[in-house]
Amino acid sequence: MSGLSRREALRVAAVGVALLTTRGLAAQSASTQDSTGTPNGPTDGSSGSNLFAMNQEAARTVRRPPKPGVKAHISDDERNATEKKLRCQCGCTLDIYTCRTTDFACEVSPAMHRDVMALVDGGYDAQEIIDAFTQTYGEKVLMAPTKRGFNLVGWTMPFGALLVGAGVVTVLLRRWHRRAVTVRARESAPAPVTGVDATDEELRRIEAAVRGGDE
Amino acid sequence: MILIGELSLWVAVVMAAWTTTVSFAGGKLRRPDLIASGERGLYASFALVLLAAIGLWTALLSHDFSLEYVASNTSRNMPAVYVFAAFWGGQAGSLLFWALILSFYGTLAVFSSRKRSRDLMPWVTGTIGAVLLFFLLTTCLGANPYTRLPFVPVDGRGLNPQLQNPGMAIHPPNLYLGYVATTIPFAFAIGSLITRRLDNEWLGAVRRWALVSWFFLTVGITLGMWWAYVELGWGGYWAWDPVENASFLPWLTGTAFLHSIMIQEKRGMLKKWNVVLVVATFLLSILGTFITRSGIISSVHAFAQSPVGSWFSGFLVVALAITVFLVMTRLRDLEAPVTLESVVSREAAFLYNNLVLCGIAFSVLWGTLFPIISEWVRGTKITVGPPFFNAVNIPLGLLLLGLTGVGPLIAWRRASSANLKRQFAAPSTAGLATGGLLLAAGMRDAYALISYTLAGFVTATIVQEFYKGTAARRAIHGEAAPIALVRLVARNRRRYGGYIVHLGIVVLFSAFAGLAFKRELDVTLRPGESYTTKDPYGHEWRFVSQGISRFEAANRDVVAIGLDVFRDGKRIGVMTSEQRQYRDSRGNPTFNPSTEVGIHGTLKEDTYVVLAGVSGDETAELRINFNPLVWWVWYGGAIMAIGGLIVMWPAAERRRPASGYRASLAPSAEFAEAGAR
Repeated sequence: MSGLSRREALRVAAVGVALLTTRGLAAQSASTQDSTGTPNGPTDGSSGSNLFAMNQEAARTVRRPPKPGVKAHISDDERNATEKKLRCQCGCTLDIYTCRTTDFACEVSPAMHRDVMALVDGGYDAQEIIDAFTQTYGEKVLMAPTKRGFNLVGWTMPFGALLVGAGVVTVLLRRWHRRAVTVRARESAPAPVTGVDATDEELRRIEAAVRGGDE
Repeated sequence: MILIGELSLWVAVVMAAWTTTVSFAGGKLRRPDLIASGERGLYASFALVLLAAIGLWTALLSHDFSLEYVASNTSRNMPAVYVFAAFWGGQAGSLLFWALILSFYGTLAVFSSRKRSRDLMPWVTGTIGAVLLFFLLTTCLGANPYTRLPFVPVDGRGLNPQLQNPGMAIHPPNLYLGYVATTIPFAFAIGSLITRRLDNEWLGAVRRWALVSWFFLTVGITLGMWWAYVELGWGGYWAWDPVENASFLPWLTGTAFLHSIMIQEKRGMLKKWNVVLVVATFLLSILGTFITRSGIISSVHAFAQSPVGSWFSGFLVVALAITVFLVMTRLRDLEAPVTLESVVSREAAFLYNNLVLCGIAFSVLWGTLFPIISEWVRGTKITVGPPFFNAVNIPLGLLLLGLTGVGPLIAWRRASSANLKRQFAAPSTAGLATGGLLLAAGMRDAYALISYTLAGFVTATIVQEFYKGTAARRAIHGEAAPIALVRLVARNRRRYGGYIVHLGIVVLFSAFAGLAFKRELDVTLRPGESYTTKDPYGHEWRFVSQGISRFEAANRDVVAIGLDVFRDGKRIGVMTSEQRQYRDSRGNPTFNPSTEVGIHGTLKEDTYVVLAGVSGDETAELRINFNPLVWWVWYGGAIMAIGGLIVMWPAAERRRPASGYRASLAPSAEFAEAGAR
């Protein structure tokens, strides 16, 4: 199999089943720590809600050397739009722009904003800034999955499912309609002649005679 | 009282176990004494859970910090209303609250249906008892609100400041009331499957409870949006957070069920599908609770990771397995002689409506779970945020909006082309005229244009339906127009209440489309400085900083900015936005600081000011948003709720004739079914 190892392929097949099992879900729950051991989920250990429990240590440095001879060429609106595509890592689930302009207690989004500003000043464009952040934090820093590889399954599945559903509904509607037509035809057809004292052969000959046949 | 409450909780576990056991045994052995005992057991369970709840409320209001729950969620200087609301503010309390609602609903459902559906009721009682048992066991063993601390703190930690908001005091109970109500239709579905009584008999009670669930979910979701908007300060009301999605999922399938049930009632069709929708709505409620409580998916709302998550996942798997088994073994009983006279009929339109509602539910569920799936498959963490959900769900939502207008225009059974032309002429013209006018006025956002075009079409559909109905009454009864209108709605609550709900949907979509024109601005102001800008309507706004003030309030330290606000040169007033640091009674800070938003709201737009930060020289960093049509979201939710109430309102008993014969007619659905054969 190209691209996928056997183990990966089995993993793909097992996803649906695993999602329904306690063990699978528990495993997921346990794996909500990234490679650095930083909890990605809420960190409040209390029995209360985790609303806005923050991981203030989550910011990492995203710096690149300034491009020689290139000045900042992104407008403030473009920069804000870029920040809206990048997720703050404090655990708030907001993008950098919204978090830094909403929650003054967060130290992560201002730090990420400073990195964006440094990259803008260094002459990097929006896509290059996004790429730099992705290299440092991984894909989880993007507010939406990229439209590449397995992520395409994520993007297309809802529409695919809807199309399949539409196909099923259409087939069902046609089947039910055909059944209604058959029932109506049966009900409107003349009742079969019963009680005639004649053999099948005699009936056949009578029918042929009526049609003016040779027999 | 607290001790009585604690003991009652444990006795309630035993009572729920008793209810489940004797009800199922009574149903199986057909023993009236066991069945009656099961019913009484459920009533007793409610009484016991109520005692347990009163015990916890007593502990909260008397500041008994020996209980971990009280110490973790309240403090002495919290306003009493929030101390009361802290009952459902934390994990353990909310589980007990869920059990309280479930036992109350169960008691109500069993008491009101006990004389009907005799064969069905023991299984219904048993199923409710089993779900109640699960919640009580989870409460007692997974997150017990009566757990005691080894020491008694002087003061508690207090409730998260973001939760100290009137919206938050009433939003969760409404959602819980909605979630829990899905249990009753589920219990009836299970009872019908077990007894193989899958005719229309079980639909009456199920429909009522499905409506109750839909109503409270609608109110709860709307209040949640309002709370998020005024309290969280990010400038919107829906962020596609997993927990928001969790409340939306059962709403979607519940709405689909409320449409498809009409087809079963009128035509005897979709028996299997309706069972699937009832079960799916219940399981999605449980899934939502699991997502909230397991910490499996990152969410601002999520409770801490706790063993409760695995309890819920286990329950989900067991409930799903039992239901799948029951449905698969009763497929033949669910077969119906389905015929469809025309593919251009209301039945077909409702089916497509169901398809789109379930399509949206699937896409929301898929987007919510895709981070987990991606990590499983690729080992890479990803985020599925608003850009994904908007890209996928906006087209589906617009399709649904269009179908909202199409359905009522098509006749049941068969629509002739002449009838279609007559019905569609005015609404289509109204829709196209709306779109054309907005295009001519300069609106260029494609989704917004489509949205308003469809809104015009659906509104005209609704107006046409009311107009035709009123005109018919005036012609037949000679009534004045207002009286004819009121009586039209009063005599056909389901139909016209439903149209009012559709009107609420139109208002909501119009509000959503307004967000396409939202403006967000970063502003830095020193005291005395001003900032001038234009809103999406072209009005000029000027904000003048009056400076920063610092003061102490009841249980918090406040840093506030006052802004003198002018629109087109005319002074509107002062807007303030605050940063708050809540403190306990000893002055120690509790939780992170929080933001209090300043909002100037009108029908056209909200001006939304957030104090994002203050530097040493009193320079304020502000975010100013112009959010068009936000009030229409709240109006839309209110209109939907009013429509739901009209649909739910029980029909008055018809007067009995004073003399002569009384004849009992078979339900119209049976006539329709017979006619269809």
